[in-house]
Amino acid sequence: MQGISFRRSSVAGLPAGSGSALPALLLVGLFFIMPVVALLLRSVTDPEPGLQNYATLFGSGTYVRVFLNTFLVASVVTAVTILVAFPVAWMLAIMPPAMGSIVFGIIVLSMWTNLLTRTYAWMVLLQRTGVINRALMGLGIIHEPLPLINNLAGVTIGMVYIMLPFMILPLVGTLRAIDPMTLRAAALCGASPFEAFRRILLPLSLPGVAAGGLMVFVMSLGYFVTPALLGGTSNMMLAEMIAQTVQSLLNWGLGSAAAFVLLVVTMALYAIQLRLVGARRAGGGI
Amino acid sequence: MLLDYERLGWLRVALVGFTAAVAAFLLLPVVFIVLLSFGSSRWLAFPPPGWTLRWYQQLLGDPTWIDAALTSARIAAMAAMLAVIIGLFAAFSLVRGEFRGRQVLRGLLLTPMVLPVVVFAIAIYAFFLRIGLAGTTVGFVIAHTILALPFAIIPITAALEGFDKSIEDAAIVCGASPFQARLRITLPSIRIGIFSAAIFSFLASWDEVVVAIFMASPTLQTLPVKIWGSLRADLSPVVAAASSLLVGLTFCLMIVTALLRRKLSR
Repeated sequence: MQGISFRRSSVAGLPAGSGSALPALLLVGLFFIMPVVALLLRSVTDPEPGLQNYATLFGSGTYVRVFLNTFLVASVVTAVTILVAFPVAWMLAIMPPAMGSIVFGIIVLSMWTNLLTRTYAWMVLLQRTGVINRALMGLGIIHEPLPLINNLAGVTIGMVYIMLPFMILPLVGTLRAIDPMTLRAAALCGASPFEAFRRILLPLSLPGVAAGGLMVFVMSLGYFVTPALLGGTSNMMLAEMIAQTVQSLLNWGLGSAAAFVLLVVTMALYAIQLRLVGARRAGGGI
Repeated sequence: MLLDYERLGWLRVALVGFTAAVAAFLLLPVVFIVLLSFGSSRWLAFPPPGWTLRWYQQLLGDPTWIDAALTSARIAAMAAMLAVIIGLFAAFSLVRGEFRGRQVLRGLLLTPMVLPVVVFAIAIYAFFLRIGLAGTTVGFVIAHTILALPFAIIPITAALEGFDKSIEDAAIVCGASPFQARLRITLPSIRIGIFSAAIFSFLASWDEVVVAIFMASPTLQTLPVKIWGSLRADLSPVVAAASSLLVGLTFCLMIVTALLRRKLSR
């Protein structure tokens, strides 16, 4: 097929084949890049030129606490998600397909269910008089209702729930790609199951764990809805603080500065993520 | 033996048990909310003292809920349509283009999926306030199209990468114009990708909360904004009814998707 070339001569000096991306590029440039850049400029110009917004942000105990809490929540959520997701992904990778497809179905149903619906369900389940507290009291495990909402516990449960599919689905791929023979060989050579796990299965699946974990961490850092509804006022996260600063306090300068911090951290971690999985597969479980 | 399901021994019992527990954890809120929506307790007590359809009557009898749902559907349909069309054109360039910076362009077009939504939300809100698009349907559709675009581009590029271009070339050799060849040969071949793109970008808009909270006006509210407002006020069981209908919708969408995929891939 060398003889026929359907590459039309480039339009208006554009490189070959790039023309059809123009509408997308225009849309993203005009309504994504430009507004975001304008917002970042606002952080150093509003209310007056200078770095005073950043000085406020890093100088005040309140905001520093928000930063620390954001990292804390994201770290806890990521750790718990990895611990819960790994065994499930492991089973899904080797289970008979008939059983596996039921679990996959449940994962997809929970993932596709409206985010607010899921969060609302957790608000009801976790409240003081909610099912979980009543069940635990009914079983005699506790005598007083546990504080499960408007605190770290609530945010962690709600966020892990949302993040699990994003960790499980890519991990299944990683684990399926591991040759079972390597583990059979380990067993033949006398490795105990624990040793085989520690020295073979875990190291071989580590790239997948790292990539998935990083994605969950990045998503958690900027999460707004679930922390806002399940978290407490004393452990506010960055995204909620940004929204509040702009919407309620109308302090655009400070809100923009905080948004810039979030953007830089997110994009830096995303760049690392791209290195880990390669640009092609970035973007997760679609 | 850790990757041989049949030879896991006692470990299998533990792992299967754990997987079942996690599946139950994932299913719990969805099932629970549907059950509660039929419960008669105003305070969402569980198990409910009785069963009722009252919350559904209240929901369907309240024009503000119906309005919000229709607004959401309208905006999501327009955003999905735009995202799929623009994404389709972009995909051709991303897969077949021969120019430097193709990967950069791809990364750029996928950024809206990675950047925390709250940053984009206040940025576009500030921008739309200035040019008078805040609180308008047009503004909503533009913002949601941006957020939906990556969800359209990913499945379409994947489908296009799996399509053998020589079939299209053959059509051209047989006398079709390049446009005809793409329309009648290539598009039907990548229809599963286009179909997934439509579903994902519709959902991206339909479920979107953060941009919508900023963009909404008293006269223009999407369903998530309406739910958000009710959640902040109180945990009314009417929200449970609305949520259950959304769960039902998701379930239907999953079944339709599975059936269509099976049919299309024949």
